[in-house]
Amino acid sequence: MAISSSSSSSSSLSLSLPFQFRFSLKTQTRRNFPCVTAVAAASGEVPLLQVNDLRAKIVESNLEILKGVNLTVNRGEVHAIMGKNGSGKSTFAKVLVGHPDYEVTGGSVVFKGENLLEMEPEERALEGLFMSFQSPVAIPGVSNDQFLAMAYNARRKKLGLPELGPLECFSYLMEKLQLVNMKVDFLNRNVNEGFSGGERKRNEILQLAVLGADLAILDEIDSGLDVDALRDVASAVNKILTPENSLLMITHYRRILDLLKPSHVHVMDNGKIARTGDLSMVDAIEADGYEPVSALL
Amino acid sequence: MSGIALIPAPCNLLTASSSSSSKFQKTITTKTRVSLNNAISISSDPFVLELAEALEDSVPTPQPLHNLREASSESLLSSSWPSRRDEPFRFTDLSFLRSSQILPAPIPAPTPTITPFSTSQFPCHVSIVDGHFVSSLSEISEFPDGVYVGSLSNLNSNLNSIVAERVLELVCGLENGDLFWSINGMGAPDLTVVYVPEGCRLQTPVHLGYFSSQGSKDGSNALYLSNPRVLVVVEKGGEVDIVEEFSNDEENENECYWTNAALEVVIGEGGKVRHSYIQTQSPLAAHIKWTSVRQESSSTYELTEVSTGGKLGRHNLHIKQLGPETVTELSTLHLSVGNQTQDLHSSLVFDHPRGYSRQLHKCIVTHSQGQAVFDGNVKVNRYAQQTDAGQLTRSLLLEPRATVNVKPNLQIIADDVKCSHGAAISDLEQSQLLYFQARGIDSETARRVLIFAFGGEVIDKFPYSSIRDKVRSQIKSLLDPSSK
Repeated sequence: MAISSSSSSSSSLSLSLPFQFRFSLKTQTRRNFPCVTAVAAASGEVPLLQVNDLRAKIVESNLEILKGVNLTVNRGEVHAIMGKNGSGKSTFAKVLVGHPDYEVTGGSVVFKGENLLEMEPEERALEGLFMSFQSPVAIPGVSNDQFLAMAYNARRKKLGLPELGPLECFSYLMEKLQLVNMKVDFLNRNVNEGFSGGERKRNEILQLAVLGADLAILDEIDSGLDVDALRDVASAVNKILTPENSLLMITHYRRILDLLKPSHVHVMDNGKIARTGDLSMVDAIEADGYEPVSALL
Repeated sequence: MSGIALIPAPCNLLTASSSSSSKFQKTITTKTRVSLNNAISISSDPFVLELAEALEDSVPTPQPLHNLREASSESLLSSSWPSRRDEPFRFTDLSFLRSSQILPAPIPAPTPTITPFSTSQFPCHVSIVDGHFVSSLSEISEFPDGVYVGSLSNLNSNLNSIVAERVLELVCGLENGDLFWSINGMGAPDLTVVYVPEGCRLQTPVHLGYFSSQGSKDGSNALYLSNPRVLVVVEKGGEVDIVEEFSNDEENENECYWTNAALEVVIGEGGKVRHSYIQTQSPLAAHIKWTSVRQESSSTYELTEVSTGGKLGRHNLHIKQLGPETVTELSTLHLSVGNQTQDLHSSLVFDHPRGYSRQLHKCIVTHSQGQAVFDGNVKVNRYAQQTDAGQLTRSLLLEPRATVNVKPNLQIIADDVKCSHGAAISDLEQSQLLYFQARGIDSETARRVLIFAFGGEVIDKFPYSSIRDKVRSQIKSLLDPSSK
């Protein structure tokens, strides 16, 4: 029921009957979910994020990008998704945060026991899902501190805490600013306006530090960073991480993996997770490329 | 779908106007015929005749303004009421003025019952009520010798004859003026003068507060017309800040009136004028404004305008260069939140080398019957080599059927110049909205912040924080009436 309403936009009317039938089966599965949770709880593991057979297409071109992604992330785990360009890594991240350019056509995503796909992007954020944008947009006329204060107060409101005044907020932001090794004037500048590539990435991590998250998705946080900036970003992320929250990073490079030490490494290929392993799989990828690794399934 | 009309004429090497409308061509032919038959052309438009007559009877001609009035009445009598077929009014509907019974506003009592300005945070404050300088509501601070702020009639009685002569020599009938310029020249009961002598830099701004005390209720056909007129003269090396504020008396918040104002600015060599202009008149009012600036060599003119009021708001901004190396910066924001039109017709003429100009015009239309009009002309004539002129206009249309008509046009004859222009019309950026949402800020708040930030670029240019704060809170309450 819930699933069908979330995807009952006009385009789903054109779906063929078998698909709809399959769809209603999915709904069935989802209804059964509470039982699944109960089982999981019994074994001591409530997954933070449970993605089942997620399918999504680009709204404008109708092109299917995600073709059945399955992924489970438990609390405290660090996951990495690798894969060649165009395999759907970033699309997967964007679908999770509710990017309007994509439409979910099937499957389910359960985050902290709730149907994520039914939520508005801001509800997902307030629920504790954070994604760092690969190329964050500039917002002229809105200063960084104003933006951070708004976002932080929205989060506090959600947590039932009183909103902070400008002064209290400022001292809180200052503390977090040190975490990403940035100067104070960073706060006075307009959001991402005139920022270098490295500054934009640091700013994303600053936002993560300020807002906190149960699951942080870092989409190519390491691309375009020099060695020092990468170390700053990685050490900030390591400080933010606790046994209670989880990390899902998308990357092309080994260096950040060495710094953030993922417990699970996934290789994505053609809209699916083709293979899952640990850090040792990265050696194989570096040596032979993606083709043989994803084919090894 | 929002209505969009964009007629850019990027690098028009011809002197002729860039319009291609056949209707416009027709108008030209008609005009030519009239001038051929030129039998001391009396307008055949009874509406204009009647208006001219009413103006003539309304106030006795102040002696020093006799010439201005003569010239204006002559040009008025040979003009007809502009229609949509006339290029400068192609997108601006004046029918609401035409269908009203226009009455010249009577002379206000010596101490009008106007709620005094809540904003007289400026030590030098001039009140102009229904076009009349009202000394009981004005405060003229101590100025250095030679500075004059006040009415022309007082200037004469002060026997400050050199300044008076200079002023009279500068009060002119502008050759490019339109019908409304002439109406002002004919109906102006007095002239408010700001005179800054050579080398004098005024530290405090001169605040001009304009009021209309006579208004009619909605539904009435009567429309009171006032014609305030101000002349600012800054001699060689002088500097002054002018703050013009056209606001609404709280007691006649929803009244109908027509303010037809004119401001002339003459800036001497190396002089500088920073001009702030805020228009928040009644949502039922008509506000037609002329700003005519003449810049001598190396002088600077900076304008920051925010216009939100009026059912019809029209600003005619003409800037003429009298010498080389002038600097002109124009930043304007027009906001239409109701059934209203905000119109800026600007014209910047370069006749001398090495002029510099930057123009930024922004419009926000948040109502399905709202409209914004922009015609921005920049003319770089033969001798204006090495001119650096930039123009950018951006419009936000936030409702279906909201309309903007923009016509940026550059006419370049000189061959060694740097000119740029750009026009963008859009709704808010989806990617920006998502960025807010992805950080937990709901889309409605995000929209509000983004719209406000769009206008903020212009508001930030006001040179005084008190004005910036006031305009910000006013824009905020217009964009989000519930926050009041």
